[in-house]
Amino acid sequence: MRARDIAVTLPTVTFHDPVAKALRVMALGRLPGLIVVDDRSRPVTVLPDTQVLRLVVPGAFQEGSALARTVDEPHADLFWRGLGHLTVMDCLPGHAAKPVTVPPDATLLEVAVLMARLRTPLVAVVDRTGALTGAITLERLLTSLALDAPGESDPLPGSPP
Amino acid sequence: MSGLIALAIFVVAFYFIATEKANKVAVVLIGAGAMAVLGLIPGSDVFYSEHEGIDWNVIFLLLGMMIIVGVIKQTGIFDFLAIWAAKKAKGEPYRLMVMFMVITAIASPFLDNVTTIMLVAPVTVVVCDRLGISARPYLIAEVLAANIGGAATLIGDPPNIIIGSRAGLTFNDFLVHMAPVVTIIFVLFVLFTRLLFRKSFEYRADRVAEVMMLDERRAITDTRLLVRCLVVLAGVVAGFALHAVLHVAPSIVALVGAGVMVLVARVEIEDVLREVEWHTLVFFMGLFVMVAGLSHTGVIETAGRWVSDAFVGEYFLAATALLFGSSALGAFFDNIPYTATMAPVVEGVVAHAPDPQTGQALWWAFALGADFSGNGTAVAASPNVVALGIAARTGHRISFWQFTRYGILVTLLSTVLAWIYVWLRYF
Repeated sequence: MRARDIAVTLPTVTFHDPVAKALRVMALGRLPGLIVVDDRSRPVTVLPDTQVLRLVVPGAFQEGSALARTVDEPHADLFWRGLGHLTVMDCLPGHAAKPVTVPPDATLLEVAVLMARLRTPLVAVVDRTGALTGAITLERLLTSLALDAPGESDPLPGSPP
Repeated sequence: MSGLIALAIFVVAFYFIATEKANKVAVVLIGAGAMAVLGLIPGSDVFYSEHEGIDWNVIFLLLGMMIIVGVIKQTGIFDFLAIWAAKKAKGEPYRLMVMFMVITAIASPFLDNVTTIMLVAPVTVVVCDRLGISARPYLIAEVLAANIGGAATLIGDPPNIIIGSRAGLTFNDFLVHMAPVVTIIFVLFVLFTRLLFRKSFEYRADRVAEVMMLDERRAITDTRLLVRCLVVLAGVVAGFALHAVLHVAPSIVALVGAGVMVLVARVEIEDVLREVEWHTLVFFMGLFVMVAGLSHTGVIETAGRWVSDAFVGEYFLAATALLFGSSALGAFFDNIPYTATMAPVVEGVVAHAPDPQTGQALWWAFALGADFSGNGTAVAASPNVVALGIAARTGHRISFWQFTRYGILVTLLSTVLAWIYVWLRYF
């Protein structure tokens, strides 16, 4: 199987979208991360679920945990509410990770290696021009592998009969 | 001919660095590589010539201090101090600004300015958000204070590290010649900010209680770690003060201090090395190779001769030109590459000085101009860029001109005061 065979269409966000919208997209779509695309639908960065928190945690607290400890409980519970007017571009770290992408003809092994190496549960599939054609989630990859796996009684390819 | 080629490579690289049209680390590496491949600098000199290759004293001094600062950052001391100060100020805007500026200016001579801003700016934003006021004037004032305070010592600002290494000036030389004038300028700057930011001061009495709810004591979780770090830092500063007596290079002091810091703090070395700004170190290496290319091909010598001929016998005029020229040029280019480029030129002019004291006066004029130029524009020094980045990410966006209109005034004020100091003390 190739990446194109298991890729699905997922909602994306742009740099100019409010952070609140990005969170809504992720929560409602139960996505394991977010693909941020530019105006020409090319992935700019792919944020794994935990890194989406970098959009939510106010910039002032991202340099270390000491400052976060000083915040009292009532305010700490509301930390994300001050982000209403900020866009995805405002909140992305200065050196946002390069987009995690694979071409449509990548094998599932390539996709798995990329996910494992870059610790991301989400990979964007892009065509030759760099435009987004689909996405592969970790769940989708594992499901495809499991469904395609031979039964315990089936011989493995290349094993003696 | 080789001089022209070296100069052309350098000018093109400098254009890309100053305009930020390309990654500056990549630019200097390509420029340095081009000079080496074209035979404009011998490969052996790149690594083994102190003044006509990579200045390893500068590189390792920066590396050592980055490791030391990387550990100190984890103690939470800055968050503690800033919140404590904000509570003392009780929301009164000028008092708050003075408190933040003083913390910044006391830290910046001993820690690098970028780190100081990275430590102070986030807590400033949190306090201002609690007070329901704009953090912009406070962030700008902190950057200006950091760039002024950093000028006081050998390790406070990268231009000083470059100049100290090139001119053979010690930590104590900087304390004796730079710290007094920097202290005076800082005090006047603090007074000036009352006027400068008078329209930006907001007082929200109803929000003061919000700041009082912050618990600064929770910032420090490991008091023993903090004490150990402060003891080691004090030892490192003492080492810098004695390095000329002990005949140990400042870079060795910093590296030994970094090693001791890692040992006593019992931190994971991987965590500490992650705090090192490797791209900055590589940028310095590439820059030194490009400047060495200019030196090898005679460009620096020619420039130095021109400058010497232009100011023959007129050393006060030369100091004036160096001070104001550096202040203006450093503001429009990044002041680090400017200093690295001009340092060998100044060295050539100093070589023609009638006595060592006059020669040193030129170095101090150069250092003051280069350091204070960092306040000139929003891109003149790295702390400015870092502060603007934090401001943008926290919803307090500061535009180039919002910063620069204050920066130009402060640069002008500090440069004129520095010029009076140089005039009265050395001529």
